Amino acid sequence: MESEKTQFQVIEGGPLKVSGPFKISGPDGAIISREGPVYLCRCGHSTDKPFCDGSHKRNVFSE
Amino acid sequence: MADPRNRQYTNGDITVFWIPSKCIHATTCFRELIEVFNPGRRPWVNMDGAPSRRIMEVVNKCPTHALVWKDNKDLTKEELKAQRNVLPTEENPGNLSSPNESTSIRIMRDGPIVVEGAFTIIGTNNEKLRPTTLSSFCRCGSSRNMPYCDGTHRKIDFRDQNPVNGE
Repeated sequence: MESEKTQFQVIEGGPLKVSGPFKISGPDGAIISREGPVYLCRCGHSTDKPFCDGSHKRNVFSE
Repeated sequence: MADPRNRQYTNGDITVFWIPSKCIHATTCFRELIEVFNPGRRPWVNMDGAPSRRIMEVVNKCPTHALVWKDNKDLTKEELKAQRNVLPTEENPGNLSSPNESTSIRIMRDGPIVVEGAFTIIGTNNEKLRPTTLSSFCRCGSSRNMPYCDGTHRKIDFRDQNPVNGE
């Protein structure tokens, strides 16, 4: 169903917003999240990786 | 007769063959070498992305031999002929995954976010980006092909673990 699709929204200079049905697994394979929306760090500086902690505001990166 | 979906890619030195019917999406190729094996691009194999030696190393790790390589000196006549026939509508590994399972989002250690399934991507200008069933998003902040991964995380030595004493 179209409405059931997972959606990734690229937020300029910020995180990747994920909503809809999904499961996120970490580097060791364990499921770390199934419910959204979640915000995934894109700037590389979050101290709560893979999630965004607002660090992009102090660390500008280019799109 | 060979499967018409089979592809071959060369850098003039070696040729990489891709046999999609054998691919089980182990994702070894693009986790190791996204500069060369990038399911988000077409063609999905870019033979200029790394030296032959590195490409051979990663191809050798393909668990199903869906990817194999040959020295160009060893190509058969038929293979040489096929080298010149590049088809415009090419499959990529993403087109082969099942649309029924819920979207899988994998955080790769010190690497990108690899996404597989049925999903849409909205870009920074609120536009829908090209539909695909397999993508990898940059997590290091330094890709030159945002929002996608281009392998730069390896060059900048991106780490999941932040230094204990801050930066």
